[in-house]
Amino acid sequence: MRNRSLRRLLVSALLLAALPLAAQKESPPPAGTPKDFRVPPRKTITLPNGMRVSFVRYGTVPKVAVSLDLATGGIDEAATEVQLAGLTAQMLLEGTTTRTASQISRQAAEMGGSLQAGAGDDDVTVGGEVLSEYGEAFVALLADVVLRPRFAETDVARLRTNMLRDNSIAQSQPGQITRVKFRQMLFGDHPYGRVWAPESLLAGYSAERVAAFWARNAGARRAHLYISGVFDEARLERAVRAAFNGWKPGAAPTVKPPAPVAHRQLELVDRPDAVQSSLRVGLPVADPTSPDWIRLTVTDALVGGSFGSRITSNIREDKGYTYSPFSFVGNWPRTGLWVQVADVTTNVTGASLKEIFYEVDRLRKEAPPAAELTGIKNNLAGVFTLQNSSRYGLIGQLQFVDQHGLGDAYVSSYVKNVLAVTPEEVRRTAERYLDPARMTITVVGDKKTVEPQLEPYRAGVP
Amino acid sequence: MALRFGRLAGAALGLLALAAVPAAAQQAGRQVPIEYYRLPNGLRVVLSRDTTAPTAGVGVYYHIGFRNEPRDRTGFAHLFEHLMFQGSGNLGKLEFIKLVESNGGLLNGSTRFDFTNYFEMVPSHTIETMLWAEADRMKGLAIDSANLRNQQDVVKNEVRVNVLNQPYGSFPWIDLPMAANENWFNAHNFYGDLADLDAATLDDAAAFFQKYYAPNNAVLVVVGDFEPARTRGWILKYFGGIPRVELPPRPDLTEPRQTAEKRASRVDSLATRPALGVAYHLPPRWTPEWFAFGLIDQILGQGRDSRLFEALVQEKGMTGDVSAGINWGLGHQFNYEGPMLWMLSLYHDNGVAPDSILAVIDREVEGLITRPVDAATLARARTKLRASLYSIMESFSGFGTLDLLASFALFDNDPSRINRLEAEFAKVTPSLIQRTATEYLRRTNRTVYTIVPGARDQATGGAQ
Repeated sequence: MRNRSLRRLLVSALLLAALPLAAQKESPPPAGTPKDFRVPPRKTITLPNGMRVSFVRYGTVPKVAVSLDLATGGIDEAATEVQLAGLTAQMLLEGTTTRTASQISRQAAEMGGSLQAGAGDDDVTVGGEVLSEYGEAFVALLADVVLRPRFAETDVARLRTNMLRDNSIAQSQPGQITRVKFRQMLFGDHPYGRVWAPESLLAGYSAERVAAFWARNAGARRAHLYISGVFDEARLERAVRAAFNGWKPGAAPTVKPPAPVAHRQLELVDRPDAVQSSLRVGLPVADPTSPDWIRLTVTDALVGGSFGSRITSNIREDKGYTYSPFSFVGNWPRTGLWVQVADVTTNVTGASLKEIFYEVDRLRKEAPPAAELTGIKNNLAGVFTLQNSSRYGLIGQLQFVDQHGLGDAYVSSYVKNVLAVTPEEVRRTAERYLDPARMTITVVGDKKTVEPQLEPYRAGVP
Repeated sequence: MALRFGRLAGAALGLLALAAVPAAAQQAGRQVPIEYYRLPNGLRVVLSRDTTAPTAGVGVYYHIGFRNEPRDRTGFAHLFEHLMFQGSGNLGKLEFIKLVESNGGLLNGSTRFDFTNYFEMVPSHTIETMLWAEADRMKGLAIDSANLRNQQDVVKNEVRVNVLNQPYGSFPWIDLPMAANENWFNAHNFYGDLADLDAATLDDAAAFFQKYYAPNNAVLVVVGDFEPARTRGWILKYFGGIPRVELPPRPDLTEPRQTAEKRASRVDSLATRPALGVAYHLPPRWTPEWFAFGLIDQILGQGRDSRLFEALVQEKGMTGDVSAGINWGLGHQFNYEGPMLWMLSLYHDNGVAPDSILAVIDREVEGLITRPVDAATLARARTKLRASLYSIMESFSGFGTLDLLASFALFDNDPSRINRLEAEFAKVTPSLIQRTATEYLRRTNRTVYTIVPGARDQATGGAQ
């Protein structure tokens, strides 16, 4: 019981009078020596029809991830085809010429996994992971879905109804409204700026149009199959060749980078009586092929991209304006955007923008202290290890490298390059790329309260 | 390597070995290696080594969840979780966060029905630093009224961004437990009323810490690529001197057996489409029926091959997806202790009456009650369950394994249960599934909750 009362004393003393003890603080024990971490190398083969296949071993759990990445998606949609890529990807799971939807789902489940399909701006991915012993059967199932889809009118009609409902729900969510409005403001008429199909457009998506989209855009030259985990490579390679050799080469990937807006614009979407304002602030920056990409990654982590970053420390931990602010550098082929996101209490919408710009400006003027930057760089190096320590983490890393044509040296030299960034380089990167005068601001919130707060941010820097 | 405490742990240091389950010493199936012991101050320690990658996870789980928070302080357990990041004896505000991040790690904390946890996923050479930091905040907090006010604002913004400013918001993860449960501990708003959050004081925080944040009310887990002897040494060095406290008696969390169907509803002025949620009270943990229910969850609700997906999505086209699960939205079947629900929820169109959807759900439920499941369905459910267990264990660089070990140590004093799950599920028979469905999927054991999209001026009360 002596211990207990001591403990109680200690706690209340610390809670009520922390300062007197501050002088005797103990330092954390330093970390040991980092172990080498090497991202496992891959082996890539190219089939005669142009399809690439990468094998990368990971771990000891007897599972294998198989993911087909097809270079199509929103980028190949005409203005009259918004969300047609997404609808087509979903239709792949609705049956083939030899399997019903139910058979596809049940067979994948019997292999200890599931088959998923979805579309993004620049890719359609089809895949999943199963117990290793079923790797070959899963490759055959995946190939059936991709090569022999049965696009039936009744299924298209049902999925259109689902898409309409999903869109309606997304359009009621402040984060989604902000995300899409921000995209429209930056990308305009480019396919990246078109996210939700109006009901009138959706109504016209027939099985015939789905089939035509797939015929036009799916083919081996656009395909890269990634296989990761525990597997017998020779047997899987045979299964892949048997399943995909007959696929037509098809068209080369579409190259159509946008020209995002790079001057100050501000839009406020009214959401009457909203208790928070949802913010996005950002602008076009370098893309992953740029020599500045790594410096930009480090700069982003320091200014807003990590828990201990400057913007988060300021508007969350100091001011309490928000719960989960974050920034990131978004990437598309030949395109990069820096974006800061936050949901802030309505009455401090303007004050939050003020602090975000304050932190950006401060970094553009003064190089960060070396210790602060070292912490950020160590964080990125460590997180890189965590991210690449899983089957899907590895596949995601390789897809990124392939989508931007970076070569595997990007992966092997990432940590070295991150650690080489200097404080002055961070300042210069912020100065060059993060110019507030060129930033787009999107706000979704209670117009009557928020509008006066935004006045100083409409044109240029206040 | 700065090994400041070189003595090897074990019997020489007076550790009480409760169980040491060597790897692969049990029945077939994937075996997680486990070393389990208790420090003299009552801290339970679980170590589980996996050298696949040079990473590690350090987690501290306190046996206090949001069920048990003070009655006039809803949301307090979660607010307190935030305060644990505001400063301790040797780490000022933001210093804990920066210490983890600058060591290449990710960190978080969360508050759940039956525990509050704090964890770091890190490169494995930084384990000692993480243990020191977790021990530092177990010793005591150093926070002031400005820290408290700041986190009250942050937590209120968390409630706004996740609930108040969102369509559906509290549906179904807060709404259904509040509607289905009778006992206040299980049925209150655990995210907290904003007024209760504002009312919290530093004295409340001191009392709460003193009551629950003690080594004998906690489990420490280290998973990943660690060196066992050194790690045991660090744990004793940093945690060994923290005094135990006398713990308060645990409250009665039991729920009465439900005997009539309940219905509840609210108008949501932000929503554009209606939503339907259904909850059933579950059998107690570790009973044969509870394992049977894990398979029922797979058969009815998990994946595109499940009966509810096939019926509601593929056959009837009433919705695009069905979400279902045990401890849905806040965890899974294996990381809670008290009474729990099986929930399912879906979004639908205005022209479709909730009762017509319920009729389809009833048809599938009746199928389980009136006939034993066929062999193929049961085999597929078992395979899916095993695959989902592996997914849980592997999730987030092994955090999922850490979470399972912590839960079984905290609630059952037996982390080796992680290695017995597959065998228990293998014992489930078709007739047990049928009996379990008959008792637990009774209509009188369920609560139906509907969201009605509505205009602002209608949003005043229940609309049936």
